[in-house]
Amino acid sequence: MKFRTWDDMLKQGFRNVFRNRVMSLASISAITAALFVLGLILAVIMNLSNIVSGLESKVEVTIFLKKDTQTSDIQAMEQQIKGWDGIKEWDFISKAEALETWREEWGDKRYLLDGYNSENNPLPDSFLIRVEKPDYVDGIVAQARNFKAAEKVQYSKDVVDSISNIAATTRLIGMIIVILLIVMAMIIIHNTIRISVYSRRREVNIMKYIGATDWYIRWPFLIEGLVLGLLGALVSGGLTAGVYSLLMNRLSGSRIQNNFLSMFQMLPLDRIIFQIVGLFLLVGSVVGIAASMLSIRKHLRV
Amino acid sequence: MIQFINVTKEYGNGIRALQDVNLTVENGEFLFVVGVSGAGKSTLIKLLLKEIEPTEGAIIVDDVNLSQMKRREIPYYRRNMGVVFQDFRLLPDKTVYENVAFAMEIVEASRKEIRRQVPAVLSMVGLASKANDYPNQLSGGEQQRTVLARALVNNPSLLIADEPTGNLDPTTAGEIMKIVNMINHRGTTVIMATHAKDIVNSMKKRVITFQKGVVVSDKMKGEYFGEV
Repeated sequence: MKFRTWDDMLKQGFRNVFRNRVMSLASISAITAALFVLGLILAVIMNLSNIVSGLESKVEVTIFLKKDTQTSDIQAMEQQIKGWDGIKEWDFISKAEALETWREEWGDKRYLLDGYNSENNPLPDSFLIRVEKPDYVDGIVAQARNFKAAEKVQYSKDVVDSISNIAATTRLIGMIIVILLIVMAMIIIHNTIRISVYSRRREVNIMKYIGATDWYIRWPFLIEGLVLGLLGALVSGGLTAGVYSLLMNRLSGSRIQNNFLSMFQMLPLDRIIFQIVGLFLLVGSVVGIAASMLSIRKHLRV
Repeated sequence: MIQFINVTKEYGNGIRALQDVNLTVENGEFLFVVGVSGAGKSTLIKLLLKEIEPTEGAIIVDDVNLSQMKRREIPYYRRNMGVVFQDFRLLPDKTVYENVAFAMEIVEASRKEIRRQVPAVLSMVGLASKANDYPNQLSGGEQQRTVLARALVNNPSLLIADEPTGNLDPTTAGEIMKIVNMINHRGTTVIMATHAKDIVNSMKKRVITFQKGVVVSDKMKGEYFGEV
């Protein structure tokens, strides 16, 4: 097709969007809603998998010891641990050291722990073992559990597994919601284009008699659907970015971020937003074009 | 040249609109297709436009069998014919000029060609002064002349008119027929379906009469006397 024809079709497509203002707005809102939910889910999943891969890269096994474990027992255990396969490094952390670390972590709120001293320290002695590869974790955990003095064996695989579970569930529920919303958006765009086709049916009829090709008739409607999809993608991209940065500001100022989640930094916005907006543009344009394709096929019979 | 060979058209509801029609139209001919409503005139035109397919028989236009024409070839086939309807079918939100230019935009003519061709055709049908008017500002005759201009602007070799004077008073109808006749004299084949006796009888052209889907007469310099 000639450049002038493309020019005309683009203008026609945009003109249709404005001519159908109310329906266009409804379509854009629908696709925005669908993509916004998709964006939030993606942001959560991306952060969770970032945490998972962070944890996997530093697999740790912690053996918490029973309260009255004797020094001789600890020394015996040290001897055994040295002989295990896959140990990168290990460390014995006495309860006094653990309390000190706790105080440091709490920073300016450490006065809350002032009530604890060497007499009533609630923390246990522990071994912290760094493992070379996640594959060794199971063996090490099994051996550690054989220690009579082991109160509890904690390892990051537990955390990794439960985070992976959360991510999988989020993905599943999220995708169901997103698919429902996308279907809704498609129905609304489909209707919008149908109305557009209907309001231009005389023109289309004349075009067919004069000898316009099918694609010449289709393009303006496809462009209309595409514009709706892309506008929805941009609005939801902005919305997702806004909500994400808001959430990040809230979290970084809170106490949760300072200790419990200190290792789980939220990914900075610029690490996720381009992927998300890229996906939005792709999904938006596919949904827009597919919906208008359906309306044209059904209602134009060109 | 247009040939209908043993053409029968039966619609889905069992109505047989055309039966065993044989017909040859030479290039440059002027042909009236007459008969009462439901005699098969519109079916003939729809078949010629390849809007519908014959149930039996073949339609051959310039050595091309329409049944063998591919879907994507239809638009290019239709560019060879201008079509005029009884109900005008103008776009109300476009001016006379834009309505005519629209037909050229669709076939992707250049802006330069459009600027040259549209005014020429408008003055040919006597509408040069109404170029910037909208259809609702025009009389019925002026609207039909706009349609004629739109049908002619791409220089078709065939003009198909389905009851073009059906909504016009006799004087206005006469003016339209003058233009149609002029177009025919320039070499364009004209096929016009009508039941306007006066027009047919005053023109002294070939007349094909349909009755219940069957050709009952085909005469050079024929006449039409209405329902027999």
